[in-house]
Formats: sequence, C-alpha cells, structure tokens
Amino acid sequence: MTATSSATPGWLLDAEVGLCPCGCIGRRRKGSYVTKTLNRAANVMHQAIFAEDTAAQPGLLQRLDPRVKVVTLFGLLVAVSLVRNVSMLLVAYFATLLLARASRLSVVFFVKRVWLFVPIFTGIVVLPATLNLITNGDIVVPLGTWFGHEVGLTSQGLTSAALIVTRVATSISLVVLLTLTTSWTRLLAALRSLFVPRMFILVLGMAYRYLFHLLSSVVDMYTARRARTVSDEGSVGSGRRFVAASAGALFGRTHALAEEVHMAMVSRGYTGDARALSAFRVQLLDIAWVIGVAAAAVLLIGIDRGF
Amino acid sequence: MHIPDGYLSPETCATFGAAMVPAWYTAGHRVRKIVKTRYVPLLALGSAYCFLVMMFNVPVPNGTTAHAVGGVLVAVLLGPWAAVIAVSTALLIQALFFGDGGVLAYAANCFNLALVMPVVGYAVYRLLARNVALTSPRRAFAAGVGGYIGLNAAAFCTAVEFGVQPDLFKDANGVPLYAPFHLSQTLPTMLAAHLLVAGVVEALLTVGVVAYLQRANLPVLRINHPDVEDDDGVVTQPRPAWRWAWIGMATMVILTPVGVLASGTAFGEDPPASAGFWHHALLEGYDFTGGKHPNVGYLTSALVGTLIIAATLLAGFKAVQLVRRNRQEAVRV
Repeated sequence: MTATSSATPGWLLDAEVGLCPCGCIGRRRKGSYVTKTLNRAANVMHQAIFAEDTAAQPGLLQRLDPRVKVVTLFGLLVAVSLVRNVSMLLVAYFATLLLARASRLSVVFFVKRVWLFVPIFTGIVVLPATLNLITNGDIVVPLGTWFGHEVGLTSQGLTSAALIVTRVATSISLVVLLTLTTSWTRLLAALRSLFVPRMFILVLGMAYRYLFHLLSSVVDMYTARRARTVSDEGSVGSGRRFVAASAGALFGRTHALAEEVHMAMVSRGYTGDARALSAFRVQLLDIAWVIGVAAAAVLLIGIDRGF
Repeated sequence: MHIPDGYLSPETCATFGAAMVPAWYTAGHRVRKIVKTRYVPLLALGSAYCFLVMMFNVPVPNGTTAHAVGGVLVAVLLGPWAAVIAVSTALLIQALFFGDGGVLAYAANCFNLALVMPVVGYAVYRLLARNVALTSPRRAFAAGVGGYIGLNAAAFCTAVEFGVQPDLFKDANGVPLYAPFHLSQTLPTMLAAHLLVAGVVEALLTVGVVAYLQRANLPVLRINHPDVEDDDGVVTQPRPAWRWAWIGMATMVILTPVGVLASGTAFGEDPPASAGFWHHALLEGYDFTGGKHPNVGYLTSALVGTLIIAATLLAGFKAVQLVRRNRQEAVRV
C-alpha cells in the first residue's frame, strides 16, 4: 500500500482482486458469506502486518516511550471528550494530522482510515438528530410541515451532530496514532508496566499470538469451502449449517491447542506466575512530549470553556 | 453494538469503569480457582476464539449477511466467568487494533457485551437446560434462547446508555453534547433491530454450534458440564422437586401486599347465612382493628397465616425426616 519503504513488499499488502466483494472485474454483486469472511480475515492480517511496519519507522511517536505514549494519548482522549466546541475539536483533529505526518505516516492513508468507516457511519446515525423532531430548538433550515407541525433542522441539532462527528473522528485518530506507531509487544509491555494486572497482559499477549494461528485455520476452512463450490453458495440454511459447523470445529481446535500450549508451558517450568523483561527508559524527548501534551490539553479545555 | 468514543460522556465511561473492575476481579478469581494454571492458555485461546466468532458472517435471507457476538456461546462452552474475561480481551484487541469500539468507552462495551450478555444468557440457558442430558436437543435450544435473550439484554443496556446522554449532558442552549437521541428513540430502535434480526442470528449461531458439538465433539462440551450425563437425561445430583413448591409459595407471600389494592370482598367467601355455629375466629374478616385500619389488619392476618402454615409444614418435614432416618438406621442395623 502506501508504506513503500516497509519491510513487507507492497504487493503482499494489496487486497486481492478476486476477493473484492464489490467485484472490480465484471458486474457488481453481493459477496457471499464465504467471501465476506475471507475478506475480513484478510483485512485483519493486513491491518496487523501494516501496523507492525509503520511502528518500525523512525518517526516522532515511534521514538517515544510506549508507557508515556499510552498515558498521554489516554489523557488526550479524555480532554477531547470534555471539549464542547466544534472549532476546538477541529483544532485537535488537525493536530492529529500533524502528528501523523511527524510520525511518517501517509496523511492520505491516515485520513482515509479514519473517515472511510466510522465517522461516515456516525454521520448517518446522527443525521436524524438534526431535525427538530429529535432535538428541540431554533429551526434554521425549515423543511416544510408534517401533520401541521413545522419540520426543519435546528441549530442545536446541527451543532450536536457536528460535535459528535468531529469528536468521534478525533478520538479514532488518536487511537489509530497509538496503534500505528507502537508494535503490539511494546504496547503490551507498556500496559504491563502501568496498571494492568500481569495475568491479564499474559492472556492478552497469548490471545493476540494465537489469534493469527486460529485465523489461518478459519481461512483454510473457508478457502476449502470456496474451492468446492461450483456455482452459487447454496441455500441460506446450508450456509448457516456450514458456519455453525466451522465455528464448532474451530472451538474444538481452540481447546486442543489450549491444552497443548498449557502442557508446553508446564514442561518449560510454568507454575502460574509470569515474569517480564521491562527495559524502558524515559528520555528527554518523552519529558518534552509529556509537557507539550499537558499544555495542549489544558489549552484545549481552557479555550473551550472560555477562561 | 460496539460503542465508539465520542458517544458517551467521560463521566458515563468512568462509571462503567468502576463497575467493571470488581466484575473482572471476581471473574479472574473464579476462573483461576477452577482451572488452576491451565487458565492462562484456556482464556487466551478462548479470547482469540471469541474474536474470530465475531468475524464469522452468518448468511440471512435476501442474500445479505450478519455477524454474531458469541458471548453466550462462549459462556455455555467455558462458563460465564471465563466468558467475561474472554469477551473483554477480544473487545480490547478490537478497540486497540481494529478501531472497533472506543478506548474510553471500553468499559461500557465490556459491561454490555462481556458482562450482561454472557451472564444473562447463561442464566437463561441454565434455567431451560436444567436436568437435561448433554446430547438433548433441548440443551441446544436453551443455548439459542440464551443467546437471543442475552444479546437483547445487551442491546437494552446500550440503548439506555445512549438514551440518558441528551438528558444528562447538554449545554446552556440545549445542544446535546454526546449521543443526541432520547430513551424514547433509542429503546425502540435498538430493540427492534435486535429482537427481529441480530437476536435471531445470534440464536441461530449458538444453537448451530452447540448442536454441532453435541454430534461431533462431545468432550469439548463437557468442559463446562462435568456433572451432566451424556444421554439418559439424569443429572448426577437430582434437585428436590420441592424447590418449585417453595418458589411458588414465596412468590405468593411476596405478592401479599397486592391484596390491599383490591376493592370489594372476595367472591364466594361469605359464610352461608345459616352457618351460625362459629363466630369466634381470632382474626375474623382478616381484621382485628374493627375496621379502623383495614390494611394493617390485612397484612397482620397475612403474616400470622403465613407463619402458621410455615410452622406446620416445617413440623411435617421434620417428622418425615425423623421417620426416614429411623427407618434407615433400622435397615443398617
């Protein structure tokens, strides 16, 4: 994709033409459940590999101590959720774009990743709230009458919708910044040295590791199904039986794997306790970053509340 | 149903965070006690499984697909406490890595999908699948009903969380600061979508997986059902049939005050006019205050009556127990 200098070749990160649900070649048709599941699986792999690639680049956020990064971005999320003016939220949003640039992420990709999915969906959801039927207030765009009542967009409704869309976009941008600039192992290590119980981290780390192992099982099952399909996917009932059976079979594998992993852990001396190597050191850049973020958050809320 | 950041106020998120910490602690403690050192790999793999189940597209008529949550399925397979942790972990991976669900709203999402859904669904499942063999179709059906009710309970909680936002958090001009829809709008929308479509998909997947495991991989079902017989329908520890009688009676006792609401007299309870031989009841007409405080008289009568019946039953039980014990000892001798 956009990460041309990454360790993973670009063609491997491209979505396969044959897997595209909208049918890049030929006429447009709805993807079957098999295709959709395969696409989602491919998407999960793609995102994980891509995040590891971008996290390895020498950018501003990549250089920060992950603990500092987790705490400060969490603080920024809280600050953004406290802001009540659309203009201040826009300022915060453009700041995330600058951070993305400073972290050597492609801004186009970053904007697409944030705006293609959730905020547009959010926009559709909050659209009815702009009507005076939902949000009472001063009508600024009259749309006529309905059963004798005046219907129109209210200024309160429009402000509220704009607030939500910008806030959702800014919040997602912040989380995407964190995940694209921090490798999973460093993120886990950061969480471990913060406040999350060690056992939870252990579960989380293993879950993430074996997620991909089980994902390849799913991909195998569905690819096999696809390979055996000649024309369409058959009836809805048979499709449902296949999904249930594959989910059931997957659980069987999951359990067998859990037993094997446990035996492997015990044979290597596992007694129920976990030890961690934590070699983070807070540097000058981290301190500067913390001060900068704190000042930005205070300014953001301060201007927002009119101090 | 994953709530993104920005829909809920930080106050709401903090409240759910405070609510989830004891739930996670209890769940971790319970699971650790049951499966000892095995719990880390079991929960980790369970979480990965949970993540993948949410990825499965289930075909529904009209050529479209929907996806299930699988919270109740994991609760049936691994137990409700393991499900709390497994679903929470899957939600965290989704929130951090795939932007599905917010980070601030993580605890609220966990409350809906990782606590309410598995616990409510599992309770329904246990109620319907009591005393049923492991391979019985009723068990699969119970799991499906659990999935349906569990998902709808979660949708109900989500709708309430959204619906209280505009009333609690708005600025001086009446602009809603977070989710703008009121309860009267969120509840019908969320519940209609989940009662009609998403709940059915959840139920179908849950039934399908349990039925498949009953046919193909029974040992896996035994993880969470160690005491249940495979096929003859007898549970190793039969529960006393008296339980239902007790529950029924307790319900009636609790409902006693409802009688105060009724007006008039009970039909057909008047003594025949000629029956003049007994006029000296202790609480005649369920009243001893001479009609001055009829409610006090009624409730006191109810209390006295309940106590007398309970004492009689208890005495009867004790007598039966005594006789039975004596007979067993006689047999042993």
